[in-house]
Amino acid sequence: MTLFSSFPLLRFLGIWLLSGPAWGGEILRTEEGYRIPGPDFSVSSPSVHGSHPEYRIEWWYLTGHLFAKEESKRRFGIQATFFRFAQRPPVSGEKTRDGEESGFGDGQFYLAHMGLTDVEGGEFFHEERLNREGWDAGAKVGDLDVHNGNWFLRRESGFETIESSEGVLALSGSILSDAGFDLRLELAKAAVRFGEGGLSRKSSEESAVSYYVTFPRLLVGGEVRLGAQVIPVTGEMWMDHEISSSQLGGNQVGWDWASIQFSDGRELMAYVLRKPDGSVDSHSSLTWIDEEGNLSAHRSEEFEWHAEGAWSSPETGDVYPIRPRIVTTDPRSGEIRRLRLRPVLEKQEISGSLGGVAYWEGACDVVDEDLGQVVGRGYLELTGYSRDDDLKTRLRGQ
Amino acid sequence: MSRKKQQEAVDSSILGLLLRRFTWRHWKKHWRSTLMLIAILALGVGTFLSIRLANRAAASGFDLFAESVTGESDFVIRPRSGNRLPVSLLREVRRDLGELPVAIFPLIEVTVSEGGEGDDFGEAAAWQVIGADLIALRNAVTLGAGNSPTGSGSSEDDEFELSLGSERQGFFSARLRNEGYSLGDPVKLAIGDRISSVEIADWLEDDPLRPAVPRNLILMDLPGAQRLLGWEGEISRIELVVPEGEGASGFCSALRERLEAASRESNWAIEGDQERERSVGEMTRAFRMNLTILSTLALLVGTYLILQSLEAAVVRRRGEIAVLRSLGVDRKTIRLLWLSESLVIGAIGSGLGILLGWGIAQGTVGAIARTVNGLYYSTTTEAAALHGGEALAAFLFGVIASVVAGWLPAREASETPPAQVLRSGSRGPGVQWLKRPALGWLAILLALGAGFLPPFTTEGKTQVPIGGYLAALGWLLGLSILVGVLFLPFGRLLRAWFGGRTEASYAASQFRRPLGRHRLAVAGLVAAIGMAAGMGVLVHSFEKTLTQWIGQLLRADLYVAAAGATQAGSASVLAPATWRSLSEDPAVEGVDVIRRYPVQFEGRQIRLAGADYFRGPDRGLALRWIQEPRDPDPRGLGKVRAGGMVPGWVNEAFSRRFQVDRGDSIRVPSPQGLQSIVIEGVYADYSDEAGTVLLSREFTSAWFGDETVSNVAIYLRSADQLDPVEARWEKQFPGILVRQNSRLRAEALRVFHQTFAVTYALEAIGVFVAVAGLGLAMASLTMERRGELATLTSLGFTRRQVARASAIEGAALGSIGFLGGAVLSVILGAILIFVINRQSFGWTLDFRVPWTLILALGLLTVGTSALVSGLVGHRGARLRGEQEE
Repeated sequence: MTLFSSFPLLRFLGIWLLSGPAWGGEILRTEEGYRIPGPDFSVSSPSVHGSHPEYRIEWWYLTGHLFAKEESKRRFGIQATFFRFAQRPPVSGEKTRDGEESGFGDGQFYLAHMGLTDVEGGEFFHEERLNREGWDAGAKVGDLDVHNGNWFLRRESGFETIESSEGVLALSGSILSDAGFDLRLELAKAAVRFGEGGLSRKSSEESAVSYYVTFPRLLVGGEVRLGAQVIPVTGEMWMDHEISSSQLGGNQVGWDWASIQFSDGRELMAYVLRKPDGSVDSHSSLTWIDEEGNLSAHRSEEFEWHAEGAWSSPETGDVYPIRPRIVTTDPRSGEIRRLRLRPVLEKQEISGSLGGVAYWEGACDVVDEDLGQVVGRGYLELTGYSRDDDLKTRLRGQ
Repeated sequence: MSRKKQQEAVDSSILGLLLRRFTWRHWKKHWRSTLMLIAILALGVGTFLSIRLANRAAASGFDLFAESVTGESDFVIRPRSGNRLPVSLLREVRRDLGELPVAIFPLIEVTVSEGGEGDDFGEAAAWQVIGADLIALRNAVTLGAGNSPTGSGSSEDDEFELSLGSERQGFFSARLRNEGYSLGDPVKLAIGDRISSVEIADWLEDDPLRPAVPRNLILMDLPGAQRLLGWEGEISRIELVVPEGEGASGFCSALRERLEAASRESNWAIEGDQERERSVGEMTRAFRMNLTILSTLALLVGTYLILQSLEAAVVRRRGEIAVLRSLGVDRKTIRLLWLSESLVIGAIGSGLGILLGWGIAQGTVGAIARTVNGLYYSTTTEAAALHGGEALAAFLFGVIASVVAGWLPAREASETPPAQVLRSGSRGPGVQWLKRPALGWLAILLALGAGFLPPFTTEGKTQVPIGGYLAALGWLLGLSILVGVLFLPFGRLLRAWFGGRTEASYAASQFRRPLGRHRLAVAGLVAAIGMAAGMGVLVHSFEKTLTQWIGQLLRADLYVAAAGATQAGSASVLAPATWRSLSEDPAVEGVDVIRRYPVQFEGRQIRLAGADYFRGPDRGLALRWIQEPRDPDPRGLGKVRAGGMVPGWVNEAFSRRFQVDRGDSIRVPSPQGLQSIVIEGVYADYSDEAGTVLLSREFTSAWFGDETVSNVAIYLRSADQLDPVEARWEKQFPGILVRQNSRLRAEALRVFHQTFAVTYALEAIGVFVAVAGLGLAMASLTMERRGELATLTSLGFTRRQVARASAIEGAALGSIGFLGGAVLSVILGAILIFVINRQSFGWTLDFRVPWTLILALGLLTVGTSALVSGLVGHRGARLRGEQEE
């Protein structure tokens, strides 16, 4: 659900249009000819984790929490996102991508964001990058292998089936010359698919749907670099892979999203779509994932998201509710849980120098307010709070 | 308060009082001479500064905007041979760099001519096409590296997409709007031997945070530029940017290490800042040296002038100094007083000089930029900015020179007993060191030795002829001193010549005991004329040698090049189909074809040329040999020698620069790897100072996999066919330039003269300044002699007679200065040709003295000196004995 972060850029690239569906035989397509995720979506692994250029938008989104192996247990928050935006629908039957041969394609653009939160150092590092398909950026069809400059995410082994709980990924990133990381990500749990049959609907509009597959828990080993310092780390990450061609309604101004990894081995994913009057769109949702990967989905009226803890960014002046409270029913105990997200650092705003619009994306501790203790770790994304940018306008392509 | 401090307070209050009463009053009363002094200082400082500024401006145009397309790149990858790199190298470099956070920006940069415009060399408007990945370029903003020319990616940039991948659209400088261009206008370009057009998709606005957008820039999306230029799959260079941050320096070293290792056996090389500056600087080295010599000329003449003016001022006021001394003002205060005065005059004069210099530079820079455009590469300089460092240097030069010039005579005056000064009236001995011939001989002796010193070779194989410069300086100083011996014989000559006429006798009497002022004025003339005429000798010798060489070299009837090739540094070539169909024309008897490739040799850029020469019964290539090969027939170059060595000839510049001679072997890079070449001859070549290795085209076309050629020389069966063939071809191949032999020769000489255009202008300034100095000297001499003149007029001397006497004296001084200068010019010319030029350019020139020019310069100097002195005398004759001005 990190889509909003890219809106300004989408607009700037002139590719974001809300489009109605059109029937093309059995396959649902947008007016421009992009495919719309439907029941026909092929989920054979590992190709499902690779690129789908016939859909307009796709991203591989990783967040997590890392700890130094040494005694200090120095803590880091990490975000790594790879986006793909199609500039035009691929010609039917076209296998090769135009950037492959010339090195400079214009059919696909790749945007990527990297963020690293150094909790003890009180520093938040981030960088954005945009490249066209070609010699320096791309995403493989048929397997997970995306890269953008020196940043990459790829499948090393495993992922034989979509249900497979064995597999290793490699993630490498850097933030300017300040920080970097090389990580090995091992599946701790099989993939889960949100929505009905993995189709996550964001609005009542026919095309506003995405294919949403998530690895809710990946065990991480590797190293983090800070300046000249190399710090061996371990930790846990979360990865979303989302594919769509148009998944948002026009009456939405922003998005609050969170992923939580509980200490008891369960996870939670929740998002609220905000309407211009401040109310919550009915397509908002919350899902619990148990240790076996079974999902328990809650509709918008079945949970509460209280946007609290206003923080004003010294850089952009935007105000974000960075300490939200989520009230939900625990499917295991049936009890009400009041979960407070507590950021490890306030300053975790991506200021959007390339896209032009800022958003907040940060590592949090999750406190159960009734128990008064930390019950897990989470990542929070807050978009559409920029004063300088009317996200809705951009969203609607006006 | 201690006694010492009390004394200091008194001293400073006396100094203040004296400055007000003595100096300020003097300046007010004699405002004209004060202004003159300031003006001369300003002129000296201004001339010096203007040359430096213009030079810098022309040179800074070379820090091409393109270099800053990605912001400040840390490294650049360039081909070792040829001017293209394959796009596939990008992936290799990314792989070699691994996890290093390095942004990689591929670029194409090609200079093309405007299609259908003037086809003379350097005359057609030049456009610089830069192909950059317009998407990736935006990342430069995030790296802290600078500011990309297409903006920071704000949502207003929708036009940005229009030219993505298009070979028909580009971004142009917004300045073109003022020249009547509008969005959507097509601009015709001669690319290779084709004419294409690019539409103005949008404007590039100037931004204070990055270098100004050159007027002639066309920024295109890289794949579009590739298609436009026929560079599919190829780029010119790769810029690498290491983003800002704590680890940046470590990443830079790791990057260098990895890429140097990867490039070792390949056809590309990596350059850091230093290497880049060096390679840019190298192209214009000779040209800049020419300007350095000129600015030294201005400097020397300026120093003489300043010295002369202040010395005159001090001597004129020796009386006042004596009065102050007798009133009890101590020496130290007098010296301080004088130092303060010199300092103030120096500061005001130098300040004005900076403005003046900046003004002159605006005019000069255009000439310099045109020269550079014609000869080296497209520069985009339009205005010489006032450079802080240069301005400061010029200012300090002016102030220090005036303080030194004021200090020496002031010390002398303060140390002379007051009675003696008063007794001798206002006439003083003046500059003493110019009266010591021994000093002159010593300087010449040292100069003789310095002339034989070997050049100083820098790390980058640039040879600096330090000995040559020292020798020039020694001769200049020596002759300016020794020229004093001419005063006495000249006095006698004057008397003999004018048969004892009163005016002549009076003028001649001045030479019996010449004052320091006479000597200074003459020394200034000697320096100015010597250096101006010395440059004249160099230019003349150069021109004669060049004309002869061109005559030998250009033997074909028609010369053909791609239309885009009229810009220096252009990579335009003739397609194989084009040049082959020319050579197969029934009217053609034979052709010479040549293809030149830029190549890195021992870390320096040289040219590798592959040629096929026609050898008719009485026509064909005739090189001027420095070391003649056993077989001067170029067709012999096609056969591989023993041990697989490829035979080649190198030009003189190459031979001198890399210290290689006939019989030596070298290894030159090519896309097929290093090639071993045995040098069989060394030929003269005045078109190139970087060095060229000439081979048979058989080898180069195989190594580079390339059948294009840079030029074709056509030998026709019959001379009658000249005009018809030219006309026919120009119609048949609109993208080629056809030139007849005579026109090409004329063009070569035009370019040559263009190169020296600045030289001529600056020589004129030098001589003008020297003559002005002479006028000043005469004015102050007349002023000093006002008592004498009053006596003469009361004895019946008319004003006209005084003027005539003064004119004769001036003419004589001018003649002495000219004689010294003429001798000096021949010597300096020889040093320039045989030492400086040979050591730094690597060219052997024939020594020719431009007697007509020197004679004209002599007449001009003597005439102007007489005229100026006559006017001064005429005015001086009105002065009464007690009147000072």
